[in-house]
Amino acid sequence: MTTEATAEATTEAPAAPREYSWRMPANWWTRNRHYFLYTVREFTALPLALWLLWLLVEIRRAGDGPARYAPHSSTAFVVFSVVVLAFALYHSYTFLTLAGTILHFKVLDRPVPARLIVLSQFAAWAAASVVVAFVLIWFAHE
Amino acid sequence: MPDKTITVRATRFDPERDREPRMQSYEVPFTDESMVVLDALNHVKSHIDGSLSYRWSCRMGICGSCGMMVNGTPKLTCNAFLRDYWPRPVVVQPLNNFPIIRDLVIDMDDFMHKLKSIKPWIIRKQELPLGAGEHRQSNEQIDDFRQFSECINCMLCYAACPVYGLNNEFLGPAATALARRYNLDSRDQGLKERLPVLGEAEGIWECSFVGECSVVCPKGVDPAKAIQQTKLDTTMRFVLPYGNRE
Amino acid sequence: MDFESYDVLVVGGGLAGIRAAIAAVEANPRVRVGMVSKVYPMRSHTVSAEGGAAAALGPGDSFETHAFDTIKGSDYLADQEVVEAFVREAPVEIIQMEHWGCPWSRNPDGTIAVRPFGGMTTWRTCFAADKTGFHMLHAVFQTSLKYPQITRHDEAFVTKLLVEDSRCVGVVALDIRSGRFDAITAKSVILATGGLGRVYAFTTNGNICTGDGMALAYRAGAGLKDMEMVQFHPTGLPFTGILITEAVRGEGGYLLNKDGERFLKRYVPNKMELGPRDIISRAMTTEFEEGRGFEGPHGKYMHLDVRHLGEKVIDRKLPFMRELGREFLGIDIVTDPIPVRPVQHYMMGGVDANISGETPILGLYAAGECANVGLNGGNRLGSNSLPECLVFGAAAGRAAAHYASSARPVTANPVDAMLWDEARRVEAEYLEKKGGDERIGPIREEMQREMDAGAGVFRTKEGLSRLVRNLGGLRERFEKVRIDDSSRTFNTEIIAALELDFMLEVASVIAFTALAREESRGAHARRDFPERDDEHFLKHTLAFHTNTLAPRLEYSDVHITTFKPQARSY
Ligand SMILES: Cc1cc2nc3c(=O)[nH]c(=O)nc-3n(C[C@H](O)[C@H](O)[C@H](O)COP(=O)(O)OP(=O)(O)OC[C@H]3O[C@@H](n4cnc5c(N)ncnc54)[C@H](O)[C@@H]3O)c2cc1C
Ligand code: SF4
Ligand code: FES
Repeated sequence: MTTEATAEATTEAPAAPREYSWRMPANWWTRNRHYFLYTVREFTALPLALWLLWLLVEIRRAGDGPARYAPHSSTAFVVFSVVVLAFALYHSYTFLTLAGTILHFKVLDRPVPARLIVLSQFAAWAAASVVVAFVLIWFAHE
Repeated sequence: MPDKTITVRATRFDPERDREPRMQSYEVPFTDESMVVLDALNHVKSHIDGSLSYRWSCRMGICGSCGMMVNGTPKLTCNAFLRDYWPRPVVVQPLNNFPIIRDLVIDMDDFMHKLKSIKPWIIRKQELPLGAGEHRQSNEQIDDFRQFSECINCMLCYAACPVYGLNNEFLGPAATALARRYNLDSRDQGLKERLPVLGEAEGIWECSFVGECSVVCPKGVDPAKAIQQTKLDTTMRFVLPYGNRE
Repeated sequence: MDFESYDVLVVGGGLAGIRAAIAAVEANPRVRVGMVSKVYPMRSHTVSAEGGAAAALGPGDSFETHAFDTIKGSDYLADQEVVEAFVREAPVEIIQMEHWGCPWSRNPDGTIAVRPFGGMTTWRTCFAADKTGFHMLHAVFQTSLKYPQITRHDEAFVTKLLVEDSRCVGVVALDIRSGRFDAITAKSVILATGGLGRVYAFTTNGNICTGDGMALAYRAGAGLKDMEMVQFHPTGLPFTGILITEAVRGEGGYLLNKDGERFLKRYVPNKMELGPRDIISRAMTTEFEEGRGFEGPHGKYMHLDVRHLGEKVIDRKLPFMRELGREFLGIDIVTDPIPVRPVQHYMMGGVDANISGETPILGLYAAGECANVGLNGGNRLGSNSLPECLVFGAAAGRAAAHYASSARPVTANPVDAMLWDEARRVEAEYLEKKGGDERIGPIREEMQREMDAGAGVFRTKEGLSRLVRNLGGLRERFEKVRIDDSSRTFNTEIIAALELDFMLEVASVIAFTALAREESRGAHARRDFPERDDEHFLKHTLAFHTNTLAPRLEYSDVHITTFKPQARSY
């Protein structure tokens, strides 16, 4: 190509300038509160999954008859369960807050404010929890 | 009273000379409360060291060229006031997550390609002829996409996004916001053409909602919202047999 | 031979340049278009335009009134057949922008809304809130991405036009990232390089507005027309020069002096805040001189007051102004008046071009702020520039595509030699020069101060003569300039040097042409010749390059068709 040939004759410019490739430092997630909370949230998924797995095993055993059903009741497991519950709540909280961001409705041609959406989500959550608790207790009585 | 000064520490990198970036300090007179970080860089370039390279133009927060890391946070330097940092030094570095061409100048070719890939133009099945006048559109319909049309392509959101930092195949915040800007425009009918790009593995699904992009955006675009809304949209289209708008 | 060659090469990625590129492709889909810009196109200074774009769209408007307002605003220095063509095309272009996605603000029935603007007798300024230029530029740039025929060269700086046998055959461009010089050849070249505000210290223009295209054409032998006509906008923020759009006054804002008085009643009683920019800027300067301005750390200023408009109107129509006030001044314009003073804003003058953008050099076209097609005369009306970029950008694009389809191809031979010479010149003058002891920054700052002092709102023979002398001195100092940066990678100091070279060139042209126009017309106000002099100066100034700083001046007639010159009062 003419232009390039000529350019080589006139200047010593490097053909393709080298760039410095940026890499994420290993401790990137400690640098900012949001990053930190985000990383924590991602990691909490692991114990949560373990706990749920355990629950599956229990349910399966319960299916074999009440005799085989022997849930853990050590203090350690109770503490673990409480911690996992906290994690689960944290996840639910993020998820429901997000709803305000994601969902957009219009009522009478006016957008519904995000805060209202979030609030209604939490209300729905509370209601659902009450229903579930009620059903569980009901069945337990049977 | 001795004249007030502020220390500016800036990244220097010349690929013809340096293996990796280094920092250099300059002492800049801080003569006016309205001075911004960009004014300090301009002082360095005009009076101390002409070889410092960076981009800027409008110095009114609208051209999007002056984004840099200021004390670790992505900022428009024409809109970052020295008074907020003084008397401590202000550290200016190129935007994170991008290759560095020189000093404070990053390579944003990647974004230019991504921008083109989401087809950021009005797509219609049938072009309206010019003689037919304008499409009718209400201010409320504009409000639906206004926020996403305010993006100045400043790249601060990409610099704040750890997902993009770990995997630059990720379409990323601004490009998704702009895709959404067109998808929500009542004049546009191109949703179907854009969805494949958005729905790709490296499209929006990479996003794990850190949310920092929306925090640093200087124009209130809220790209995180655009990404989450797009996720919902793509899912709904998958789940439900009807589309939202043709 | 594999030759990097286009049919049409556009220099500039602002509104005018991109519009030209698309028009060329739409005129002939087989045309190959190149677009060179020293910044990414969406950084072009069009992005900062706030107020709006004028077009006689509405039922209550007519082409005649838009034409008359423009011509009266120009102080009768506009070429009337150009104005007439412009007002007819402007609405078509506004609709075209709408089809390309520009989010124009709307009327309740969904049609494009208009707002009042200075010097316009009726509401005809279309707007996208108060970020009109931003939305237009992004819409047209993003639309341009769909044309495979357009190839971009982003961040490439044009240093010279290639002219062979008085025909323009391309440009020499410095690729900023690699430091390599390229010859980009083309059968036709369109200059759309924007304004030159950076020759002044106090300006609304961005760092890239350095008059490059004007200097390039001037050195290549084209004429520069009416370069003494520099617009000062009445309402810039002290210190930064950031513009507070005229739309603020359009929406009903008041200009108040330090006695809280709407002083414009003494200058433009019938139009008040909606008077034309040249007259309001002079009124403010006069008030300052007579001691009725506020005094602040950055000089004298007036108040621009929108408090009576209320938060709702401000947020709907002027949200960016509120943002600017909050971000850059720490005030809320809903509750505080805005400090403002006159500021350099726009260049009416530019590369001499006709209604199709053709310059006297074969194959060379010009459009947008860098061109003077005869639309703006002595004073541009606010909101006429954005549509000018569209109308004449498109016209130049079509004309260039048409010309290219029959022009003979560019040959490699002389181009090679010209590229070699140009690359050698820049290397020798900047990169390899030893022993210079002048720096770019101080020379540029002094030029800017001199221009503010000598070629500002009011001018005199003494001031302009001093300016001419001092610019000569600065040119000598520039010959001894030293560059710190020896790298070839993204060397912004070389760019700054090349820009300063161009700016010193166009600054001299402004000074000489202003000295020669011994009358007051439009934005050119001479203290020593306060009256308009139609007998001697109802003429365009044409400046041609010579071997000295002083241009050779010629004068040409203004085209008057319908509207005979009258006294200009508002
Ligand atoms: C703050 C402000 C507000 C304004 N508001 C309004 C308004 O409300 N209404 C209105 O009608 N007008 C307004 N104007 C005026 C109007 O915006 C401009 O006149 C117009 O946008 C100029 O567009 P352009 O395409 O000619 O140039 P620009 O948009 O300035 O583009 C110039 C292009 O040329 C390129 N370039 C320059 N030199 C070189 C070189 N040497 N090599 C390669 N490329 C080069 C640049 O990279 C850039 O892409 C305003 C202007 C300002 C400054
Ligand atoms: S979304 Fe915001 S931060 Fe990201 S590029 Fe656009 S304006 Fe900048
Ligand atoms: S210089 Fe334009 S955004 Fe800062």
